[in-house]
Amino acid sequence: MGALIAANDLVKAFPASRSLRDMMRGQRPVLRAVNGVSLEVAAGRALGIVGESGCGKTTTARLLLRLEEATSGSVLFEGQNVSALRGAALLPFRSRVQLVFQNPFDALNPRFTIRRSLAEPLRNFGVPPDQQEARIREAMGRVRLDPPEAYLDRHPHELSGGQLQRVVLARALVTHPRAIIADEPVSMLDVSVRAGVLNVLRRARDELQLAAIYISHDLALIRYVCEAVAVMYLGRIVESGPTAEVIAAPAHPYTRALVAAVPVPRVDQDRGDLPIRGGLPDQLNQPSGCAFRDRCPLAFARCAEEAPPLRAIAPGRHAACHLA
Amino acid sequence: MDALLDVRDLAVHYRTAAGPVRAVDGASFTVPAAGIVGLVGESGCGKSTLGRALMGVLPRAASIAAGSAVFEGRDLVTLAPAERRKLLWRRLAFVPQTAMNALDPVQRLSAQMQEVLVERGGLSRAAAGTRAAALFAMVGLEAGRLRDWPHQFSGGMRQRASIALALALNPALLIADEPVTALDVIVQRQILDVMRDLQARLGLAMILVTHDVAVVAYACDRVVVMYAGRVVESGPVRAVLEAPLHPYTMGLMNAFPDLERAGGELVPIEGAPPSLLNPPGGCRFAARCPFAEARCAQDPALVEHAPDHQVACWRAPEAPALRPLASEAATWAR
Repeated sequence: MGALIAANDLVKAFPASRSLRDMMRGQRPVLRAVNGVSLEVAAGRALGIVGESGCGKTTTARLLLRLEEATSGSVLFEGQNVSALRGAALLPFRSRVQLVFQNPFDALNPRFTIRRSLAEPLRNFGVPPDQQEARIREAMGRVRLDPPEAYLDRHPHELSGGQLQRVVLARALVTHPRAIIADEPVSMLDVSVRAGVLNVLRRARDELQLAAIYISHDLALIRYVCEAVAVMYLGRIVESGPTAEVIAAPAHPYTRALVAAVPVPRVDQDRGDLPIRGGLPDQLNQPSGCAFRDRCPLAFARCAEEAPPLRAIAPGRHAACHLA
Repeated sequence: MDALLDVRDLAVHYRTAAGPVRAVDGASFTVPAAGIVGLVGESGCGKSTLGRALMGVLPRAASIAAGSAVFEGRDLVTLAPAERRKLLWRRLAFVPQTAMNALDPVQRLSAQMQEVLVERGGLSRAAAGTRAAALFAMVGLEAGRLRDWPHQFSGGMRQRASIALALALNPALLIADEPVTALDVIVQRQILDVMRDLQARLGLAMILVTHDVAVVAYACDRVVVMYAGRVVESGPVRAVLEAPLHPYTMGLMNAFPDLERAGGELVPIEGAPPSLLNPPGGCRFAARCPFAEARCAQDPALVEHAPDHQVACWRAPEAPALRPLASEAATWAR
């Protein structure tokens, strides 16, 4: 299986604010928002990255998009290392890997018509003007905004949230990308219209054989749009595999807690205690060994001594736990 | 059983340059003396406005235009402001969406607790200290953290503290506006468990305003479904979620991704809610409803269709036959 887009041991370290004690000791604490993340997505496949706020999922997306420079590690697109590309050399990558913005209400310039918003990326990537209208109409068709002329001359405030999010997706598709990365693509939308946008995303992925990466805190949503999932905790992937299998039989204790915490829209559901303790630790003072051991109901001596590496536990499945 | 709160035909209007926006337009429901009532609906359906109207914390441009809200025998709508203020904290308390709005960022939590307990509740300072520690314990916070400032707390801890604060004077009714929406899923579950546990231990009533049907299914005993400023369905959670009578409730259930249910397409509700500046006559959901008929141009009243289960839909008697249709995408496509 050839990966269209891949990450290799990505690390992103930010200098953290220093306390007086750090300064006196001449120390400069570093926060590893992303700490050795590797992943790959083939054309026509979708990977979900799930985790709580602060787990590094959004930073991972920004690294993949080259919106942020990695401290170490590399991003491969169509087999080429794009980490070293600069300036104009990045343009083809930018047009082929597109970001779908989270908030449709501020992703579009309110003074632009929908047509102008969609023409902008085409102009940026040098698509000749006589081809632009056809490309715009094609993109509008992909996101099921039919007929296009009913929308193209309108302004964002004249459209509903669901329509706007489809326009945002059309703008991502108009450059004919090979991969799309969507950070919480429907979190700003009402429940009744989310389903429509998710269906449009799924169809576009299938029809165009896109590699898709979805970032979300919502495991139920990831299950709906992604056949594979990677669970992140404090900058690391702690578990990955086929979404249905990971949800049905989580191998990592953190995944187990995450799955148990998601409420389902049914009256009869498990309301037992969550298999997790406490809250997220301070990222600068993580425990020795496994970063999850403070909260883990199954932790034992080895977890304090040795950080479990992410290793294969079954075909297609990986987990970073001594017990997996 | 007598209701603790009986809301009848409540209307809340926002004054705008273009005319009144009818954010809540004739909402009726009751809240029993104990249990958690979920007030569910999409943005702009009026659920938050309704919660704020009951608390008397509406924004300046909004006012109650009609209706009544009888709480413990007194109508909150006509009650003199001074009388109403006496109810706040003691009988009726509020947990806002972002806990930072409930907590004063420049005061230690102990000082905020003291303020409510001593000045509002008339406790001595010593008694207030003991009570504050007990309240913190009730919501799962260490008493030692009372000395902290709000910024030292995580989002979940702040929400726990704002619930503790709301419960300080033993209210009979707690209104929580999207209390878990901004929280991560594990923290969300922990806060919902705190609310469920407190409800059971203290036997009080809670209104939980949310857009999330799964949160209602997890935490609530009853549910009130709102659409475009009106109540379209209400009743016990099991009855409403398992056998919805209103097509909007059916649609909401089918639009929701379910972690445990495999495969299948989610079914969107096409279209968008109507403008509340000039709402259409008749049933407000008719424009999006696949089952709308000519008679839906007339306003359906909220009626008791089954024991304790109210619905505002002409076709409610046919609901068992409509439910399987509502689960198919083709029904809603247009």
